[in-house]
Amino acid sequence: MAAPAKKVFEVFVSKIPWTVASKEMREYFGQFGSVKKCLLPFDKDTGFHRGFCWVGFSSEEGLNNALEKDPHILEGSKLQVQRNRRPFVGQKSNRASEVD
Amino acid sequence: MPFHTPLQENMAALLRSARLLRLSPSGLLNIAGTNRTGPPLGRLYSGALGGSRTGACSRLTRPARDSVSISRVWPYTAGSLRGYSLATDEKEDGSVMVRSKQAQQFDWALAKLDSSVRRTGRITKTLLLRIFHDICRTGYPSSNQALLLLRSCGSLLPEVPLEERTVLAHRVWEKLQELGAQFDVSHYNALLKVYLQNEFKFSPTDFLAKMEAANVQPNRVTYQRLIAAYCQNGDIEGASTILGFMKTRDLPITEAVFNSLVTGHARAGDIESAKNILPVMRGAGIEPGPDTYVSLLNAYAEKGDLDSLKKAMDEAESADCSLMDRDIMQVIFTLARAGHQEHIPDMVERLRHERGYVPDAMNLCLSLITQGQEETSFHILKSFSTLEPDNFNSDSSNMGNFFLRHCVNMDTSVEKLTKYCKELQETKRHFAPLTFSLHCALEAKKTGLSLELMKILKEQGFPIRPHYFFPLFIQNSKDNNSAGITEVLKSMQELGVSPDAETLSIYILPAFPSTEAARQALTDAGIPLDTENFLTLEVRALAVSDLAKLYTLLSDPSFPPLDHNHFRSSLILGFRKSDDVESMVKITELFYRDKRFTKEGSKPAEETSYFLYNLFDSRTEGIVQAQEEKLRKYLNQLHAQNIKIPLNIYKGIKNVLESYNVPELIKDVMALVEPKDERGSVSAAPRFTVIEGKVLALENKLAELKAENKPLGTILKQTIQALCAEENLQRALELKQQHEEMMIVGSYATLINLCCRQGNVEEALHLKRELSRKDSSVVLDSSKYIALVKALSKNDRVEEAVDILKEMKEKGVVLNESNLTMLFYVFNSLVAEGGVSTIRRLQDTIFTLGLAKPTTNLCSPLISAYLESKDLSGALEATLDFQKRYNQLPRIHDILVALVEKGDTELLQKAMDFVSQERGEMNMLYDLFFAFLQTGRFREARKIIETPGLRARPGRLQWFAEKCIFVNQMETLEQLVDMTAKLFECDRDEMYSYVLRLCKVTNNWQKAEAMWTKMQEENVIPRETTLRMIADILKNNGQEVPFKMPEAWHEGAETAQQDEPALPPTTAASASEYHTRLLALCKKGKAKEAFWMIKKADQQGLTLTASTYDHLIRALLADGSMEDAMVVRDIATSRLPGFQLSNIAISLSIVTHSKKGQTSDALEKLKSMLQVGHVPSQLAITRLVQALGANGDVAGIEEVESLMKGLGTNLNLSSMIFLSNKALAHIKNDDVDSAIEMLDSAYTSPDSAKPGMSFVFRKVMEDDNDKALDKLSAMAERLANHFACYRPAVDLFLQLLDMNKLEDAKFMLARCNGVAQQKNMLVSYMSRKAQFPGQSGKIKALISLIPDFTEKEVFYPYLMKCHFVDKDLASAKALHEQMQKEGMVIDELSLKRLAVLYRNAEETVPFTEPPESFKFYADKLKDQVTKAADE
Repeated sequence: MAAPAKKVFEVFVSKIPWTVASKEMREYFGQFGSVKKCLLPFDKDTGFHRGFCWVGFSSEEGLNNALEKDPHILEGSKLQVQRNRRPFVGQKSNRASEVD
Repeated sequence: MPFHTPLQENMAALLRSARLLRLSPSGLLNIAGTNRTGPPLGRLYSGALGGSRTGACSRLTRPARDSVSISRVWPYTAGSLRGYSLATDEKEDGSVMVRSKQAQQFDWALAKLDSSVRRTGRITKTLLLRIFHDICRTGYPSSNQALLLLRSCGSLLPEVPLEERTVLAHRVWEKLQELGAQFDVSHYNALLKVYLQNEFKFSPTDFLAKMEAANVQPNRVTYQRLIAAYCQNGDIEGASTILGFMKTRDLPITEAVFNSLVTGHARAGDIESAKNILPVMRGAGIEPGPDTYVSLLNAYAEKGDLDSLKKAMDEAESADCSLMDRDIMQVIFTLARAGHQEHIPDMVERLRHERGYVPDAMNLCLSLITQGQEETSFHILKSFSTLEPDNFNSDSSNMGNFFLRHCVNMDTSVEKLTKYCKELQETKRHFAPLTFSLHCALEAKKTGLSLELMKILKEQGFPIRPHYFFPLFIQNSKDNNSAGITEVLKSMQELGVSPDAETLSIYILPAFPSTEAARQALTDAGIPLDTENFLTLEVRALAVSDLAKLYTLLSDPSFPPLDHNHFRSSLILGFRKSDDVESMVKITELFYRDKRFTKEGSKPAEETSYFLYNLFDSRTEGIVQAQEEKLRKYLNQLHAQNIKIPLNIYKGIKNVLESYNVPELIKDVMALVEPKDERGSVSAAPRFTVIEGKVLALENKLAELKAENKPLGTILKQTIQALCAEENLQRALELKQQHEEMMIVGSYATLINLCCRQGNVEEALHLKRELSRKDSSVVLDSSKYIALVKALSKNDRVEEAVDILKEMKEKGVVLNESNLTMLFYVFNSLVAEGGVSTIRRLQDTIFTLGLAKPTTNLCSPLISAYLESKDLSGALEATLDFQKRYNQLPRIHDILVALVEKGDTELLQKAMDFVSQERGEMNMLYDLFFAFLQTGRFREARKIIETPGLRARPGRLQWFAEKCIFVNQMETLEQLVDMTAKLFECDRDEMYSYVLRLCKVTNNWQKAEAMWTKMQEENVIPRETTLRMIADILKNNGQEVPFKMPEAWHEGAETAQQDEPALPPTTAASASEYHTRLLALCKKGKAKEAFWMIKKADQQGLTLTASTYDHLIRALLADGSMEDAMVVRDIATSRLPGFQLSNIAISLSIVTHSKKGQTSDALEKLKSMLQVGHVPSQLAITRLVQALGANGDVAGIEEVESLMKGLGTNLNLSSMIFLSNKALAHIKNDDVDSAIEMLDSAYTSPDSAKPGMSFVFRKVMEDDNDKALDKLSAMAERLANHFACYRPAVDLFLQLLDMNKLEDAKFMLARCNGVAQQKNMLVSYMSRKAQFPGQSGKIKALISLIPDFTEKEVFYPYLMKCHFVDKDLASAKALHEQMQKEGMVIDELSLKRLAVLYRNAEETVPFTEPPESFKFYADKLKDQVTKAADE
């Protein structure tokens, strides 16, 4: 627990076809490294997922492997894979009111 | 204008060939090569080639591929919607209180529908309903909105069955009527149109009776549509009755009527008579148009008579009515519905796949499916692929998605659906049609179809996954239909899919009364359950029902390992629902310490902190606020259990809490942070960097001249100026002679100018020579130079004029906008004198020297000169030359007009070729179109504008329309509007507004009224401004306005009624008349008068509309007349039982109450408002809180604060509003200590934002409450000196300064000199002050108190800005001098400001004025600052 901030090796995946669920996502991204987390939110009103997903790797290597590959094709659809720029803790600026 | 010359006939032929060629791109490519040397236009003119498809015009079309990008033409169904467009003419300056929200809303709804129509040519039912509900929800729909909704209920909904559309239209009609929308004839006509489009059977006589009952007069369009309705049913007799009626009323019988009769006779079974309508039309002087032929074609199609169909098509073609794809599509639709599918391939072959084919065809497909004609639809669909491959993504071919989806929605059988899917896949049109169909079926919650499709997919080897069933479960789950769930589960079983834990807990369990019941039901149904899954299930169930039990279960040592993430969301939900904080803490601690509940390899403590974060993050703001106490207790107990979280988790939670406005909890979370992590990050204060500068050249010239400036000089100058103003050149020159020595440059300039004006070139040149003898470096004002150029050119001394221009260049004279205009007039003055060569010489010199950019304006006089001398070829050459050299094409319109008039085909050909090549084909076509219009060759003009693929260029259309308005060409303008009716993307309302503007100028009310009818015929939805224009024209001529006048709040009173009597209208006046008058009074600020009027109306027993009452109430409230407003409210309630005040009105009444100090009334209003879900305005809250503060009502403020928190939406209220006013309330109650305590804790609390409290200081000072001020200032100083929290101290200091209490400020500074170092706040104060006039004193006072608070480089520019804002040249001059003395670099922005001051005072600027705009230099400065900061 000495690390001052938790490092996250996360990708944000979008344009995920509806046929794929988080099991398939884990399987697919498992080829790049061990997947620690896979969050594919489902819409509780429609029963479909929302088309995007966060995949967290346990190591930076997995992350880099995943980012190096292009294109990512899953079940005939091209996934959009980006490094998750807004990891767990978002920085919100409250400084705006300091100087007006 | 009649066309009788063969020349004109051939022009038409020529244009026709252009249209046809465009349609066969391959032929076009073939002849492209030969065209260069192909027959010139002249041969076509001579008639040799007639309608041939080769020839010059093919050239014109060739560049089309590159230069014209036309995405698609609006489909046929969209014809009725062409009037949709964004109404951007609403000005934003209307005051919030009186501005009608309706207009905004209309824009929004319009934009929504418009974009849908633009993209797809249709509207979905969902979108329409959403807009309908939104409009209803917000109260009083305007008549425009009603029109918009009604018109959308017809063929724009191809996916909706006809009957359903009509039901929808009726629902809209009734609901809007209920809400008080006023229907006029345009609404009835729109309803009729919808009836026709939906083939709704109704009784025209009943319809007329209904109109009569509503006291709405039918017009031509109404009758036309009633005839169409009779004809749709083959009732010729009925149609004749109406026709007779129209004749007796002397209404014109238009093409549309004849077209209906064609249909009518055909439907009555008399195809011969139908056919005979065409000659009858011609006999009546109306040429059958494409629509006539389409009616005839449809008649044959209904009978399945292919031969006649083909014959009629050829006939149309030869009658110059070429049929568009969408016309043929109509025929296809008719054939399909009449059961003559066998002829459809013939028609499909005739489709030419014009641009925009796909959206049109898509809508045809959809309509066909809706009509149960999937087969035909599929046939059409297959015609897509080969044609526009680029319309689809190459990486995933998905053609036919829309087709499959609509088939699913329309319950097409699985067999057909799979057949289509198979074919789509086999022909490689679609990658996964079955999967997509399944998606659609699931979306539409069609369980049977979905399961069948899954079966087929499984057979084909596709995996079937548990989540495919989620949508099916959801529906049953929502209905608590456990039997349905079991059924789906069984099917799932059959498909070999077993539900996972997630499926069970989220989608299945909730439908059962208990976990046990679920287990039982599933076992009974023979569905085996995975044990681990069910364990999770049980845990989840307990998590949301009984936390204590859950803890017992989990803490049992025999419980197997289970990652808490598997039931995290249930647990979070359970934590939210339960009040059992103890169990919550126990469970959390269990996670924290026991490895069983985290995944192997991860640290329990870490995972638990994530859980905590999720706990906060997953709640809504409202819930966190409501459960604040519970959460605090939970957090405190966690702390007691020694549970720690890392710093980053703390930050995350803190951010969440801040965004939820619950900063109070942050402290409690902070307590959990691990000690070693507990260190604040040092945030670097933003730096303010001074612009580094270079040494600027000194302004020596200025100093020299100033040194010689003796008193006599000034007087001399003034005298000469006065003499020149009187044009007394003689005397002025004498004076100059006498005082040669004292003459200054300005006086010379004045004299030179006068000489030029009087045409005395010799003397002017003499003076100029004399001046340069005195000082060769003198630069004259640019306008004087131009005057010299003009005088010289006029006197045929061009070369000398050129020399002057050269001198200007040498001396760096810069020409501004007005100088350029002068230059244009100089050139123009030479036109009449045949000054071609003179103008050319001057232009060449100016452009080559770069004195002015070659604009169209500056180029055009040369063309004018050629035209003046009737040298068309010269004019054309010249303009083409300009295009080549400067990319300007001046006066091409006039040249083309002249060429057309003269009939010079060769030159015209040349011009068109060139324009097409240089400016693109589209521009060329517009040029030609305008030229034909201008010369009255309307037939040719129409040919041009109907070129397929041409789209509206609003700028160009406006240009021509304005021209027509300017020279009062009504016929041309009307033709323009008429011809552009079918032009792609043409803003119809805009076009009609041009005609109306001219009507207004000429006061032609008959024309204006006719335009209104035409707009209805064309289904244009007029903007409010357009309606207002019609109403004004009618009223000015004493005519009745046949519709409800739109409300004109922000348009200024003068445009409406000039002769508005302040007296109430006579008793006979209708409610709408009252409405108009009342609104006029309201907007003039005469709410009182309006009030008396409404009272009178009430006495007369008149009921007005809800919106009238609402407007008056708002106007009265805006005036602060609360009592009167309430009287009106009472009247409204008594007349309209359901009447409620609008949002704005209640907000205003809160403001009024607050201002009058009636805070309890205001508070009550606020509560009642919140109760019904209305949102108060920010102003209302601010005023209320301030009033409560002034009354000393702390509890009241707290109440408002909590009410606002409960509201959910943030009104952008600063947290300081409540704090400041609470403090003021305490002070008011003489409880300064509480105020101090509160502020103190606010400023010392670690993480709260620290906004300013100037407001508190100001109020206290204004009240002269010295005691409070003393304590507050002690607090501020304490905060500054002990806590390094300077904001309050600086606020106080600046407030003292602002109120001119300089002594106090000085003392304060002595006690608390940290203030002096708060550079950012001080500079920001200065920058704020510098924006308003009269504040330079404050800034000077600030610098005198804290001389070094910032660099001079920062301070001086602000001071300069102050002087600039104050228009204080003297001070600015002094400042400038001081800056120079101090050797400072003066930035260009300040210099520019100074220069403008000089100029405004009509003094010569003693230095070179920076040439660019203010914004340029401001941006440049900003840029430098940023760059410096980056280093």
